[in-house]
Amino acid sequence: MLKLAIKSLANRKTSALLTVIAIAVSVALLLAVERVKEQVQANFANTVSGTDLIVGPRSGDVQLLLASVFHIGALNNSMSWRSYEELSQNRQVKWSVPISLGDSVSGMPVVATTVGYFQHFKYANQQSLQLLEGDWFKRTEQAVLGADAAEKLGYAVGDQLIIAHGTGGISFSEHSGHPIDIVGILKRTGTPVDQSVYVDLETLEGIHGGESEHEAHDEHHDEHADHHHPTDAISAALVGLKSRQMALFMQRDINTAAGEPLTALMPGQTLQQLWKTLRVFEQALNGISAIVVVIGLLGMLTILLASLRERSREMAVLRAVGAGPGTLFTLLVTEAVLLTIVATASGLTLLYILQISLSGIIQQQTGLLFALQWPTVADWWRMLFVVIAGFLMSLVPAWRAYRQSLADGLTVKV
Amino acid sequence: MASAIEIDRLAFAWQGDQLTLDIPQWTVEAGETVLLRGPSGSGKSTLLSLLAGINVAQQGTVQLLDQSLSDLSGRKRDKFRADHIGYIFQQFNLLPYLSALDNVLLATQFSPKRRQRVAASGHSAEHLAVEYLQRLGLTSTQLHQTAVHLSVGQQQRVAAARALLGAPELLIADEPTSALDSDRRDDFIKLLLELSEQNNTTVLFVTHDASLGQYFNRHVELSDINRASGGLAHA
Repeated sequence: MLKLAIKSLANRKTSALLTVIAIAVSVALLLAVERVKEQVQANFANTVSGTDLIVGPRSGDVQLLLASVFHIGALNNSMSWRSYEELSQNRQVKWSVPISLGDSVSGMPVVATTVGYFQHFKYANQQSLQLLEGDWFKRTEQAVLGADAAEKLGYAVGDQLIIAHGTGGISFSEHSGHPIDIVGILKRTGTPVDQSVYVDLETLEGIHGGESEHEAHDEHHDEHADHHHPTDAISAALVGLKSRQMALFMQRDINTAAGEPLTALMPGQTLQQLWKTLRVFEQALNGISAIVVVIGLLGMLTILLASLRERSREMAVLRAVGAGPGTLFTLLVTEAVLLTIVATASGLTLLYILQISLSGIIQQQTGLLFALQWPTVADWWRMLFVVIAGFLMSLVPAWRAYRQSLADGLTVKV
Repeated sequence: MASAIEIDRLAFAWQGDQLTLDIPQWTVEAGETVLLRGPSGSGKSTLLSLLAGINVAQQGTVQLLDQSLSDLSGRKRDKFRADHIGYIFQQFNLLPYLSALDNVLLATQFSPKRRQRVAASGHSAEHLAVEYLQRLGLTSTQLHQTAVHLSVGQQQRVAAARALLGAPELLIADEPTSALDSDRRDDFIKLLLELSEQNNTTVLFVTHDASLGQYFNRHVELSDINRASGGLAHA
């Protein structure tokens, strides 16, 4: 029976091949969408690692995370330098890095921080930032650019840039009196780091000098050698703890402290929370891939039904040599299931071929890294679903062939 | 087993028209070879469709090998035909994508009874199929050619080998020689009868060509047994 089905299919190579291609492409797409989703989610979760707490002015967790890590949106308040100092001197705190946001270079967000940022900020699987060329900034008026920022702005090491106040693409108050030297460009990370321009906190302070009222606060002291604090307010602080287990307690302590109202969040947890808000995006992707598979299977149904007409003679011959209508039914179903299995396998192969050949380009363009991996359990279920759907669809033409062969009997129409 | 075919008071009409067949009585004894002749439109094909159990008589009985066909359900008739009747169709009805050999082997694929008889002969079905095809004049390369690549004469031999494999009790041939020239036609009939005799198969050979009568035990004109005059509607 199987042999007969295979030979019959081989006899109709073109239409069989077209069916296989149609289904294979939809299976590949179905699996690819799933991988993109997983990778996006993984990359998303990878935007920050190694940071146990992010502390900022009182706001929603998601808002603080979006502003401090993704540089999306703005924080209405700031966190005082005094609070930051208190935080950094807490016994539990291993390291802390202040960041100040709010300025931009042609739409690219400026992150004013300390050199400590490059030591402590980690992404993905505890990976540190690395320089593509140049060096870290060592003093004020120097900047390090993320890979995308350098590319989009067209800057190289040695060029100068002008920081604008505000985060819009066009700003009417450029700090044109303060050209800043670009001293380094970072390797691509696939995180918002790529989009950012990093300068020293004091650079920003120098730029904003005279605009703010900080000069009245000279009496503040900090741990800097010159006993001069670089700024009086920051946007947020990244904090590493001596023991990760303490994060929850620290978070509660900070959130409920009596002093300046602050918010502390655990990045991993909040990232997950944020991802959940993106469910719609996930569902849309699922919907699209389901539709693609349905179209592929409908294509198969069409081809199978169309081939029944040209095969009525074949059916009659099989009936004549003793094959019952039930056998013909089985034959058609076997054939369709065979087609879907081959197509599904081809789809999987196609996916791997695409992944191998395109992963370099994709990583360059989007920073998404698609690791080669065996199909997941979910993938197998999806493929099984396609085969089962193919089987169910084949019942339609098989039933028609059954009815037809009963009605036509052995009358052979040439 | 007294008779291979026994027709009793058979009447058949297509869709309530006038009778196509009206056969009071007709018998073919087991082991006989019979040539049934009639002009086109005389009801030959109708009679064959009744014998093969494709259609069922409205009146009277058709018995094959002492089994009344009208007593069997459609599915059982299918099985009965596959098991007991070798049928050579006018258009041979080969599957174009199978090789000559595979086409012959189809005969046993769907009939357990034929498989049993093949097994009883002590040879494999494949062995017998090859033997038949070679005796019918196909070369060993032609055995493995797909049916579309065979000439009409070769296709006909394949159809004959298929009908004979598994030694059915009755062989019905429906104008199988209409596409052949007379020399090859005579050769074919001789071989067919020779193989049938070996298998003890009763042969009913239907044709419009009276010149073939010499090869058969008995020559029957359809008009002699059929009282219905019309029947032009479905020849």
